[in-house]
Amino acid sequence: MIRPRCALAWIAAVWSLAQPSAAAEPVRFSRDILPILSDNCFHCHGPDPKHREADLRLDDREAAIKHGVLEPGKSAASELLRRLTTDDADERMPPPDSNRTVTPAQIELVRRWIDEGAPWGKHWAFEPPQLSPPPKVQLSAWPRNEIDAFILARLEAEKLRPAPEADKATILRRVSLDLTGLPPTPAELDAFLLDNSPEAYERAVDRLLASPRYGERWAWDWLDAARYADTNGYQGDPERTMWPWRDWVVRAINANMPYDQFTVEQLAGDLLPNATLDQKLATGFNRNHMFNGEGGRIAEETRVENVMDRTETTGTVWLGLTIGCARCHDHKFDPFTNKSYFELYAFFNNTSETGANSGGGRTGGIPPVLNIATPDEEAKLAEAEKTHHAAAAEVDKLELTLFPRAAKEPAGKSKEAAELSGNVLAALNLEAGKRSSDALREMLTTFKEPRPKYAQALAQLKKALDERDRLSRAITRVMVMDTLANPRETFMLDKGAYDKPGEKVTAAFPTGLHPAAKDLPTDRLGLARWLVDPKHPLTARVTVNRFWQSFFGVGLVKTADDFGVQSERPSHPELLDWLAVDFVRHGWDVKRLHRQIVTSAAYRQSSRVSRALWERDPENRLLARGPRFRMPSWMIRDQALAVAGLLVEKQGGPSVKPYQPEGIWEEATFGKKSYVQDHGESLYRRSLYTFWRRIVGPTTFFDVSARQVCTIKTLRTNTPLHALTTLNDITYVEAARALAEQSLKHAGGNKPEDRLAWAFRKVLLRKPTSAETAVLAATLKQMQTKYAADTEAAQKLLKVGESKRDESLAAVQHAALTAVCLTILNLDETLTKQ
Amino acid sequence: MTPDLQYRADLTRRQFFGRSAVGIGGAALASLLGGDGLCAADAVAKAGVPQRFGGLPGVPHAAAKAKRVIYLFQNGAPSHVDLFDYKPMLRKMHGVQIPDEIVGGRRFSTMTGGQTARPCLAEITKFAQHGKSGAWVSDFLPRTAEIADQLCFVKSMHTTAVNHAPAITFFLTGAEQAGRPSMGAWLTYGLGSDTQDLPAFVVMTSVDKETSCGQIFYDFYWGSGFLPTKYQGVKFRGSGDPVLYLSNPDGMSKEVRREMLDGLAKLNQLQLDDYGDPEISTRITQYEMAYRMQTSVPELTDFSDEPQHVLDMYGPDVKRQGSYAYNCLMARRLAERGVRFVQLMHAGWDQHRNLNTQLKIQCTDVDAPSAALVKDLQQRGLLDDTLVIWGGEFGRTPFLQGSIDNTKQWGRDHHPYTFTVWMAGGGIKPGISYGASDDFGFNAVENKVHVHDFQATILHLLGIDHTRLTYKFQGRYFRLTDVHGDVVKPILA
Repeated sequence: MIRPRCALAWIAAVWSLAQPSAAAEPVRFSRDILPILSDNCFHCHGPDPKHREADLRLDDREAAIKHGVLEPGKSAASELLRRLTTDDADERMPPPDSNRTVTPAQIELVRRWIDEGAPWGKHWAFEPPQLSPPPKVQLSAWPRNEIDAFILARLEAEKLRPAPEADKATILRRVSLDLTGLPPTPAELDAFLLDNSPEAYERAVDRLLASPRYGERWAWDWLDAARYADTNGYQGDPERTMWPWRDWVVRAINANMPYDQFTVEQLAGDLLPNATLDQKLATGFNRNHMFNGEGGRIAEETRVENVMDRTETTGTVWLGLTIGCARCHDHKFDPFTNKSYFELYAFFNNTSETGANSGGGRTGGIPPVLNIATPDEEAKLAEAEKTHHAAAAEVDKLELTLFPRAAKEPAGKSKEAAELSGNVLAALNLEAGKRSSDALREMLTTFKEPRPKYAQALAQLKKALDERDRLSRAITRVMVMDTLANPRETFMLDKGAYDKPGEKVTAAFPTGLHPAAKDLPTDRLGLARWLVDPKHPLTARVTVNRFWQSFFGVGLVKTADDFGVQSERPSHPELLDWLAVDFVRHGWDVKRLHRQIVTSAAYRQSSRVSRALWERDPENRLLARGPRFRMPSWMIRDQALAVAGLLVEKQGGPSVKPYQPEGIWEEATFGKKSYVQDHGESLYRRSLYTFWRRIVGPTTFFDVSARQVCTIKTLRTNTPLHALTTLNDITYVEAARALAEQSLKHAGGNKPEDRLAWAFRKVLLRKPTSAETAVLAATLKQMQTKYAADTEAAQKLLKVGESKRDESLAAVQHAALTAVCLTILNLDETLTKQ
Repeated sequence: MTPDLQYRADLTRRQFFGRSAVGIGGAALASLLGGDGLCAADAVAKAGVPQRFGGLPGVPHAAAKAKRVIYLFQNGAPSHVDLFDYKPMLRKMHGVQIPDEIVGGRRFSTMTGGQTARPCLAEITKFAQHGKSGAWVSDFLPRTAEIADQLCFVKSMHTTAVNHAPAITFFLTGAEQAGRPSMGAWLTYGLGSDTQDLPAFVVMTSVDKETSCGQIFYDFYWGSGFLPTKYQGVKFRGSGDPVLYLSNPDGMSKEVRREMLDGLAKLNQLQLDDYGDPEISTRITQYEMAYRMQTSVPELTDFSDEPQHVLDMYGPDVKRQGSYAYNCLMARRLAERGVRFVQLMHAGWDQHRNLNTQLKIQCTDVDAPSAALVKDLQQRGLLDDTLVIWGGEFGRTPFLQGSIDNTKQWGRDHHPYTFTVWMAGGGIKPGISYGASDDFGFNAVENKVHVHDFQATILHLLGIDHTRLTYKFQGRYFRLTDVHGDVVKPILA
C-alpha cells in the first residue's frame, strides 16, 4: 500500500514503535518473531489443519523442529531461513504470488532469533499481565502518577520531551467533554480559574465523575458495543422496547458498578441466585442483536445467526478476539478452533428464543421478554385476553358449519374454502384465536357481503384482538435472556450453516488462555465468572485499552477489537499490563481508572504540535502531546444544545425523535414507517436518547456505529457531508439562533465585539484573539448589511427550529449574529476535543 | 494516514490554496474524497492528465477497461424463466410435477419450503430471438430486446442465499451477513475519485408504482463495513434535497453562506497557525468541498439541458424524481461527471402471487429506461469505459407457487440455483450469452458463475486483481470476494 518513495518515513515511524531499540538486546519471540510468522506463514502453516500445506506447522516449536525446518542455534542449517532468503522463486517463502513479503530487517531478526536458540513463547496477550514497577525517568518532576512514568520513559528513550501542561480553560473543556460529554459552562470555568489550590483540577475531576452526565456519556460507547437500537432491523423493522436496558446501563455506570459485576449481570444476571428485576434486565445485552423476521425466512436460520452474534460479540467485547473466523474453520492465526467456537456458542444456545417472529403484534420485542407491567396493566390485559378467547371460540363455532370438513382438520381444508385467496385460506388453516389482525381484515372484506353474520363475528374477534394487542403493547417488555428447562443440543455447523449440523459439542471454556476454576458451572454464569477471573489474560487488558482509546483517540493496542496474534503490538506494553493489573486489584473500579487517566500529566499536556513532532508521530502514539481529535458527532450535537442553552437534561425513558429531514423513514420503508417528529423538550434531549431505527439510523449523526453489529472502534473521517450536517441541520441553525439570543441579552456592553466575545467564550471557553475578533467582526458587519437589505430573509432564518425566540430583539441584528454563531459552532476548534 | 504524505498534502495545500478560502487546490481534497491522501501530491503534479483524488498507489493493478460502474440492481429477483432464460420444456410440462432428480434436496424459502406440489409453470408471455446474436428475450422487454447485440447475458448465475436481504447483501458485499464493505466502497477505496464536486459512490432507489412488495433498502447495501465511513455510498434521495442537508437553511442566501464560509476558513487558518495540526487544513477543505457540492448537485439534477429526444428515450417518468427512469438519466449524468460507482436499486420484482398481473407492469417501468441508458452512454462515447450491470439477487422458481387453477394468483418463489443477469460496455463482450441452465431453468449446468466470480470479473474490468484489493481488519486481510472468485474470462471483450 505504500509507494516506495514515501515509504521510508513511514517505516521509520511505525517500525520504531515495535522494534527492539538496541541491536544488543536479545530478540523476544512473542514481540519480534511471532508477528512475522503469524503474518507471513500461519495462513498455510498455522493452527488450521485443513489448510495446512506440506504438513508443516510453524505455530508450534516442537512440530517445526520435528519437521526439520528449524535447528535452534543454527540459522545456517535451518530450512526456515533458507526458504526466506532463497532466490529460487519456486522455493521462496512466502510464495511470490501470496502478496506477502518479509523485509530484510525481519529476516535478520529471524536469523538472530534462531542463533539465540529459537526460544518460544505464547503470544503476549495470552500470557497473564505482569505488574512491572513504573520505570525510572530523568525528568522526575514531570510524572504525576504511574502512567506518566511509563509514558515518559518511552519518550526519553525516543529522545522526546513531553509538552507543557495545557492551559486551565483547555484542560477543563477537554476533561469535561471526556467525562460528561458536555463542555463546562463559563461559570464553571470561572470558578476553576479562581481556584488556585493545587487540588483544583482533581476537585473538578471528582465533580465531573460524580455528575449523572458521566453515565450518559459513557453509556454511548457501551451501546455501540452492545449494538443497541430501538428496532429489530430487516424487513418491516419492527420496534422493540430496549430503552429500560439502556437506562440500566446509565444507572450502572453512574453507580460505578465494578466492571466484573457489570459483566456478570449482563451476561448472566438471570442465573444469579435470587436474581433481582434489575439483574434480569441487564441480560438484555445479549438480545440487542438484529432479528431477521423477513417473510419466508427460516426461523432456525435466524435463531442460529443470533446465537452466533452473541458468541462473537462476547468474543470482541471481553476477549478482544475475532472468533468469527472460527465459525467456519479453525482460526488461521489464533489458537481458536472451529470446535472451540461451537463450545462457546453452546453457552448462548440455550435460550427460549426460537428465531420465529413470535412477538407479532403483541409486543415489539421477541420473547423471551421481561414484563415490567403494573398490576393494573396486568388485570386489564387478562380481561382483554378473556374477551379475545370468547370471540375466537364464537368464530370457531360458526366455521364448523360454514366450512364442513373432517374432524380435527382446519377450516381451510373444507371444500367451501377451495376458491378463496391465498391469505384468507392461510388464515382459515389456523384456529381463530391465532389469526393476525391483518388476516382478519382480509377475511372481513371477503365475507362482508356473502356472510354478514359470520363477518360480524369476525369483526368482534378483530376488535378484541386489536384491543388485547393495544393493551399488551402498552406494557413495557424488554427482551432478555432465559434458560430452557430442557437444554438444546449443540452441534458444530458446517461453515456455520444452520442446516448442516456435524459433531455434537457441549459448552466448554476456551482453552489456551487460562484454566477455569474447577467449581465453575458450564453455563452463562460460569462463562461470565471465567471472563472476570483476576487471572484472565485478556478481559482487563481489553477493557482498559478500550477506555484509553476513548480518551486518547487510539488505544495502547491500536487494534482495540483484536488482541490476537495478528493484532498490533501495544505502544506501551508495560503500561497496558500495569493498568490492567491495577484495575483488577482495585476491584474493577472504572471511575478510579478514569480518574487515574485524566489526572495524569500525559493527559494534561497541551495538544499543540510542531511540524517536527507531527512528522515523527502523527498519530500521537508516543504521547509527547495531549490528545486532539474531532469529537464524535453525537457529542458535537450535545455540545451545540448545551452552549445554546437548549439542552433538556432529563434522564432515561423511551427514546425520542428530534428533527430529521422529511421522508427518510418513508423512503426506506416504502411509507410503512413514518417518522413522527417529537416537539417540545424531546427535541433537546441528549443524543443518547435519540430513537435508533436500525435500517436507517438518525441522520444527524455521522461516523457512528451502524448499531447492526458489535462495534468498539469507530473510525473518524472527514467528508463534505459532515460539514453540510453541522451547517444546515435545523439542530445547529436553531442552536446558533438561541446562542445569538443569549448573547444579545447577556453579553453586556453595546459593542458588537462584546457580543461576539460572549458567544465565542460560551462555546470555546476562551476569549477570541484580536485577529479572531477582527474576522468575526468583519463577518458580522457583512451579515448585518445583507440582512438589513433583506429583512424577510432575516425573519425566515429566525423561524428555523421550534423554540420560541424573544420577539423584542431586532430581527436583522439577531439574524446577523445567528449566522456568525453558526460559524462559531462549525469552527474546527468547536468540533474538536483539544 | 501516513505522516509524510499528510504533511506533503498540507504543504501542497498551502502552495495551491494560498491563504484565501475561495481558491482551492486539489491536494487536501484527496483525504476527503475517497483516498487516504496518498496520491494527493500526484494529482496536482501531473497537470493536464485527468486528476484522481485518493485511491491506493498501485491500483489499478492493470490497465482498466472500465473506469466506472452503473449497477442497475433489480431488488426482489426478476423471473429468469419469464424474461431471458427461455425453456420450452416448461410449456411441455406445464402443470406437471417437476422431476425430483432436478429438484434434489434443494431448500426453498418457507413460502414454498413446505409445499410438496411443484408443478412446472410455463413462461407467462412470449419469447423471441433478437439481433444478430439471436438472444432470447421476452416480449415484456421490447426495448431491451432492441439492444440485445450490446448485451452479454450471463445465464448461469447462482448464489447460496434464499432470502432477499442476505442475497442482496451477498451480491453487493460478498457476504450474506451485514457488515462487510460494499462493492462501491471497495472501488472508491482502491481507485479514489475522478471528481471533486460529487461523491465517488452514489446510490439511488426506486420502487414499482404499486409498491407491491415490502423489500427494504437497508443502508448496509451501500455501507463501508470496516472501511472508513467516507467510502460509504451517498444516497441521493427520491424527494426533497437529493443530498441530505444540501440546502442552506431558510433565510440564508448563497451569498451569506459564502461570506460565512470565508470567515470560517480564516478563523480555522488562524487556529492552524496556532496549533499546527494538519487536521485543521483538512477541515478547511472539507467545508470548501461542501460548498462545491451545494453548487454542483443542483446543476446535476437540472435536466433542462437534455434534448427532448433523449428525455423521450427514458420514457414518461423521466422527470419524476425518485422514479427508475429519473434515476437512469441521473446515472448517465453522474457517469459523465466522473462518479465511480452508481448503484441504482429498483424494488418490486417479488412476484409470489401476482406474476400474471404485476410482472408486465414492472417490466414496463424498467425496460425503456434501462435500454435508454445503454444507448445514451453509447451515443456519448461513454459506454466503452462504463460497465452497466442489470440483475437481481436470485431468480424465481420454474415451478409454481400457489394453485394452478387460480391463474390470477400465480407466482414463483425465490430461486438461487440459476438465474440471468446482463452486462454491457466497459470491456464486456457484446452480443453473447454465457453459461446455461438445465432444460427446466432450475440448475445452472454449463459455465456456472458464482456471485464471487461475478464480483471478481467486475473488479478485473476496472483493472483490479480481486485477490489484491485487501484491507486488514481484526487481524485478517479481507477482500470483496472473501477467499473465492475466478474472473469469467470468456465474457471479456
